[in-house]
Amino acid sequence: MNTHHPDQLLLLSQAAGRLDAGASLVLATHIEMCPGCRAQMRELEALGGVLLDQIEPVELAAGAFSRTLERIDAAASFAPRPPARVKATRPDLPAGLQWPHSLDGCSISPWHRIGPDMRWSRVDLPQQRDARVFLLRMGAGRMLAAHTHSGREVTQVLYGAFEDGRAAWHAGDFDEADETIHHRPQVTADGECICLVALQGPLRFDGLLARALGAWMGI
Amino acid sequence: MGMNTLTAPLPLSLRLDAQVARRPAPGHLSVMSSPSRPSRMPTPDELSAWIRAVADPGDRAAFAALFRHFAPRIKAFLMRGGADAALAEELAQEAMVNVWRKAASFDPARAQASTWVFTIARNLRIDYARRGLDGAREQSAGDAADELTDELADAAPTPPEQLAAGQIEHGVREALGKLPEDQALLLRLSFYEEQPHADIAKALSIPLGTVKSRIRRAMEQLRRALGHLQP
Repeated sequence: MNTHHPDQLLLLSQAAGRLDAGASLVLATHIEMCPGCRAQMRELEALGGVLLDQIEPVELAAGAFSRTLERIDAAASFAPRPPARVKATRPDLPAGLQWPHSLDGCSISPWHRIGPDMRWSRVDLPQQRDARVFLLRMGAGRMLAAHTHSGREVTQVLYGAFEDGRAAWHAGDFDEADETIHHRPQVTADGECICLVALQGPLRFDGLLARALGAWMGI
Repeated sequence: MGMNTLTAPLPLSLRLDAQVARRPAPGHLSVMSSPSRPSRMPTPDELSAWIRAVADPGDRAAFAALFRHFAPRIKAFLMRGGADAALAEELAQEAMVNVWRKAASFDPARAQASTWVFTIARNLRIDYARRGLDGAREQSAGDAADELTDELADAAPTPPEQLAAGQIEHGVREALGKLPEDQALLLRLSFYEEQPHADIAKALSIPLGTVKSRIRRAMEQLRRALGHLQP
């Protein structure tokens, strides 16, 4: 059972539909992997339903109902169907690890080498092309250059584990960091680690080289 | 910090449901009490039956009943989230088109009617925020947020030990009714407003951190009322 979960307010924002696409994707991935958060999400969506029932209604314009019926009829006559979702080729994963369903609609680039035993893959979201979402895959004991953040960073551990002095995160765990957190995440000695990460703004690396690399990666 | 500061009248700058802000009595929450709306609130079972009738056999009277209940509420929800009246009107109609179109996939074991409609309206709001009006309209032709919701629900079937959707919604309704009004208000604002934390902090002149801890407390209170946590 994983121990690091999204903050209540983050779950609430997800249920209310207020998160940006990248953070929402990482949250969805966590929720998919975490029965507890899934149950909580159901409750929060039920709360959304109850609050919708209780909201003070605002009448629609005259003729709104017939216009809605016209739209339904018009759409039915040519019945546009969504193109079948193509699951494009995916980079390789360690044996036994499946891609989360939450990533089904995304295209995921091949692994790019960014250092010894460190690889990176860009995740493209169809609904928000400029989202900064990526996968990070690092070998046992590897360390990411020290950095802080400009805005929210959310991370879901898909595989393995890392630590950064605050705590250790294992597969299924979720982490949220912001500009108040300066860290140097290191993969634990047990084996490699794969994380899904969404950034609100670019990372701020301490070192020049890391900064240049980050700029090249678009993070 | 005393909780009762929240029950003080809020400045108008906050897009509040005026009735909610000015009358702290719990009774005002139901539209049943509104004299301008003599029609009673449909029960969850009635709403479910209407959605099923829309799915098969395409019952327009049932759809009209759903429209009467939900469309004005979706419009209100979108306006509270920052949409102007014209846009909210447009998106509310679009949401109802989706209710019609997706009615066959409605599964009352997975989500009750109001919850299901809420997720449709919410996903439309997400698509509008990310891709604009055209993007939101494309939703009817295969929307990202909606599809993801469906896929996740399909991928993660409800474990038998979890409560049925009806029990959850009923429990939430009861629990919300038992919350102190200031906490219920915070939860409402958290769901409706575009920038709830900043808006509440500004309106009440309290630090952002305090707003967050109060919302957290309200959520804990709700979960406790749902029986998850011991008091």
